[in-house]
Amino acid sequence: MLNDIQTIKNLAGEEIEKADSLKSIQELKIKYLGKKGILTGKLKSLGSTPQEDRREYGRILNEAKICIEDLLSKHEAAFKTLELNKTLQTQRIDVTVPGYFIPAGHLHPTTQVLDEIISIFTSLGFNVEEGPEVELDFYNFEALNMPKDHPARDMQDTFYITEDIVLRTHTSSVQVRIMEKNAPPLRVIAPGKVYRCDADVTHIPMFHQLEGFMVDRDIKMSDLKGVLEVFIHTVFGPDTKLRFRPSFFPFTEPSAEIDISCVICKGAGCNVCKNTGWLEILGAGMINPRIFEMAGYDPDQYTGFAFGMGIERVTMLKYGIDDIRLFYENDIRFLGQF
Amino acid sequence: MKASYKWLKEFTDFLLSPKELAHALTMAGFEVEGMEDIEGDTLLDINVTPNRPDCLCIKGIAREISAILEVPFKAITIDVRKQEGRGPEIEIKDSPLCKRYASRTISGVKPAPSPAWLIKRLESHGFRASYNIVDVTNYVLLEMGQPLHAFDLDKLAGQKIVVKTAGSEKTFRTLDDEDRKLGKDMLLIWDAKKPVALAGVMGGQNTEVSLSTVNVLIESAYFHPASIRRTSKTLNITSESSYRFERGVDIDNVAKALDRAAQMIAEIAGGRVSNLTDIYPEPYELKKIIVRTEKINSLLGIEIKESSIQKILNSLGFETKREGEGFIVTPPSFRPDIQRDMDIIEELARLYGYDKIPATLPCIKVQPAPVNKRQDLIRTTKNAMIRSGFSEVINYSFFKPDTLDKLNLPPDDKRRNLVFIKNPLRKEESAMRTSLIPALLNNVSLNLNHGEKDISFFEVSRVFLPSDLKLPDEIIQMAAISNNNKSAMLWESKHDGFYDLKGALENLFRDLKIKQYYLIQDTSSIEPYLHPGKSCSIIVNGEKIGSLGTIHPHVSESFDIKGSITILEIYDLEKLLEHVSSGTTFVSLPKFPYVERDVAIIVSNEVLVEQVNREILSVDSDLIEAVTLFDIYTGKPIPQDKKSLAFSIRYRAADRTLTDAEVDSLHSNIVERLKNTLNAELRG
Repeated sequence: MLNDIQTIKNLAGEEIEKADSLKSIQELKIKYLGKKGILTGKLKSLGSTPQEDRREYGRILNEAKICIEDLLSKHEAAFKTLELNKTLQTQRIDVTVPGYFIPAGHLHPTTQVLDEIISIFTSLGFNVEEGPEVELDFYNFEALNMPKDHPARDMQDTFYITEDIVLRTHTSSVQVRIMEKNAPPLRVIAPGKVYRCDADVTHIPMFHQLEGFMVDRDIKMSDLKGVLEVFIHTVFGPDTKLRFRPSFFPFTEPSAEIDISCVICKGAGCNVCKNTGWLEILGAGMINPRIFEMAGYDPDQYTGFAFGMGIERVTMLKYGIDDIRLFYENDIRFLGQF
Repeated sequence: MKASYKWLKEFTDFLLSPKELAHALTMAGFEVEGMEDIEGDTLLDINVTPNRPDCLCIKGIAREISAILEVPFKAITIDVRKQEGRGPEIEIKDSPLCKRYASRTISGVKPAPSPAWLIKRLESHGFRASYNIVDVTNYVLLEMGQPLHAFDLDKLAGQKIVVKTAGSEKTFRTLDDEDRKLGKDMLLIWDAKKPVALAGVMGGQNTEVSLSTVNVLIESAYFHPASIRRTSKTLNITSESSYRFERGVDIDNVAKALDRAAQMIAEIAGGRVSNLTDIYPEPYELKKIIVRTEKINSLLGIEIKESSIQKILNSLGFETKREGEGFIVTPPSFRPDIQRDMDIIEELARLYGYDKIPATLPCIKVQPAPVNKRQDLIRTTKNAMIRSGFSEVINYSFFKPDTLDKLNLPPDDKRRNLVFIKNPLRKEESAMRTSLIPALLNNVSLNLNHGEKDISFFEVSRVFLPSDLKLPDEIIQMAAISNNNKSAMLWESKHDGFYDLKGALENLFRDLKIKQYYLIQDTSSIEPYLHPGKSCSIIVNGEKIGSLGTIHPHVSESFDIKGSITILEIYDLEKLLEHVSSGTTFVSLPKFPYVERDVAIIVSNEVLVEQVNREILSVDSDLIEAVTLFDIYTGKPIPQDKKSLAFSIRYRAADRTLTDAEVDSLHSNIVERLKNTLNAELRG
């Protein structure tokens, strides 16, 4: 009897190993374990076995059954995987067909760069403020130390609405407006549109600027350098060199023009930097004490710095755009690149 | 200002090459914008900032170079030999406008072309050569920065010079043959009878030096900068003279420059020089400015020694005297820009070298940053729009007023009240815009012309409306536009483009947390540039805040656009802030399953989906969780004036699993209601 079981077990093992398809495994399952299967038959005959052997006999028979079951399911799984793999092979798709999505729109490159710059300065504790685009001559010029007959007004071509109202020529106009309403300390950036009565290959009559200023009890010119260095290194990379040159703005003193090492040629000299290796990017300086006087601050107590930059200029350098006139033609072939 | 490298070298000894010199000047605040090689010399094109009129001449730049490079400055010797007689009497009537007036006459001159070297110098610096006498005045202007004027002495009536304003005099012919309209406050030079020059701006034709001139009077003066600038701006004349006078010339240099010119004229054109007549009632008083060393260092963030301070200031021609913890500084007469200690600190920083100032970060107190709701609103709006597939455009803030006609706006529309620009760049773009729509239509038109097919744009910008206050109202608007084409997608969408824009609006309002809004198709309030059947007003809390709809075919046509265009317009983005719903409140997740049933009905075309929704919900708003439209069908076999609408209705109870019987009964109630109230037929 025990030999019998061993033989069945061996035979089943051999047959399962030899099986070459899922179908033959399923047939073997029926042959051994089905209702009329060989092993099932042995199990049924357990009742007629003598009482004293029944227990041992049952145990062995059960062991054989588990053994065959395991073997069968192992092979069954293997064949199923094989078959699935075969099916998957026939379900190949063309991965080069374009993806399916509702295309998102593009933010204007000016907005993208402006947002980046704003986030750098807000992380340094600056607040964002705005002012009117149609501005009083007072805030645009006079309060910035440019009285009516001042030759510095020649530096900017101005659109006039009336004698006393202009389209602001710079975002510096926000400075005195903010100072009038707030006591120091101040850390403010003022982004926005500005206007110049000027249009040619390198000028457009409307563009964007960002003005920034900080006023407190102990602000130094070296702090201006530090803050602008953080800004330039974040936008153009930590290897970008900065160069501060003396300049003149009626509302700052000392005044500086800030150049960065050419982002195109890395300072070697190219068309963009006119072979100088440097690109002009910012105007800045220590706030002229006259501005504090205009705003009612005590210039002996407070010092501060201010800076301003053209956003289109930064955008052009960042992306290598070579024609400023493209910005507001709103050609989707341009806008879609950003 | 152009400056010859060789000419500069006549005034100061330096060893730098032109290129090195250009760099040194640039780093000291005189940006060299260009260089040009001319026959053994180099011309530097130097940007002289408006605060430095003293550097609008060769001598001034040379003086600056000697300070920058710490090399000696060589003054030229001026020596007028043989002076005889005296020129006309001078009377200054408007003394605030003319603080000094000096003159010499030269008799027996021979007007002729100048020697070649002089012509070459003048022409290379941008001056046209004339007769030797005039050339010398220009040469001295270039060399010493003092504008001079030569009169034909014999044409001056009554041997007299009077400096006074135009008064009732109406016109004056300048030497360029133009009749100039005078203002009563313009300063003129007169002889005993008539005006002979626009002071500091341009001479008169009546006393111009010519080939037949025998005797000349040379004028050297200091005119009030603002007065010269007003005259020059009003008459739109910018001359080499006015450019320097309006920035301020060196009042102490007036007689020296005159002497230099007289000497040169006598040498080149012959003649005898008269004695000097010099009216200078109140000599210039030098300023004394106190500057503290501690302030210099703390403002710049450096540590500069007192000896260095003194050395730098002295090299610039400033006298210094130690006093207490700093200096008393006396700037020279050619530096009227130096008014207070900050001006001196700037000079120190400039020559100390900005590159030697370290980079530090300020020590500041932490302050909570106020929330800028306006900025957040704009950012949220832009992000919502790009997510809906719209690209951002930015257009100029000015437009052609007649574009409003193209929009069909009635004469009393408030967008026809415009803010005009007095000096527009192009005459037609003379007003600040009051609507974003025209520019967007132009953007679509341009891109269609390029052969682009799918165009969806939006803009967030200000419009400008006149107000009772001094400045116009600046209102932030948002407008979006689309040509409703989806050719780039693999699937084809047949719905009206209106629904794309409506979807964008829904997206936007979801992001802005605006929950209560209605679209009203009220013909009386619909924009005149929209299709009357395919447009509506957007109402939030009873207020019309925008429009949505298809552009009227006439309007599209007037912008050269073929095909249907849909727009969305929010008139005042900031106003939406008033309608933002308060924070989100969590609702517990349902504990029991839902049951879904569909219903398809045929109703008359006039019946709105919103009406059907309302009727369905009215049956049992507790147990009906959601009603979703999933199909609209018109065409056979549905009768022409009807449409088929199919809804999926989701039922759920909060406290139990609904039984089939309950749902069946609810569903048949709904069908009954739709039949009764909307005359709906159940679709088989």
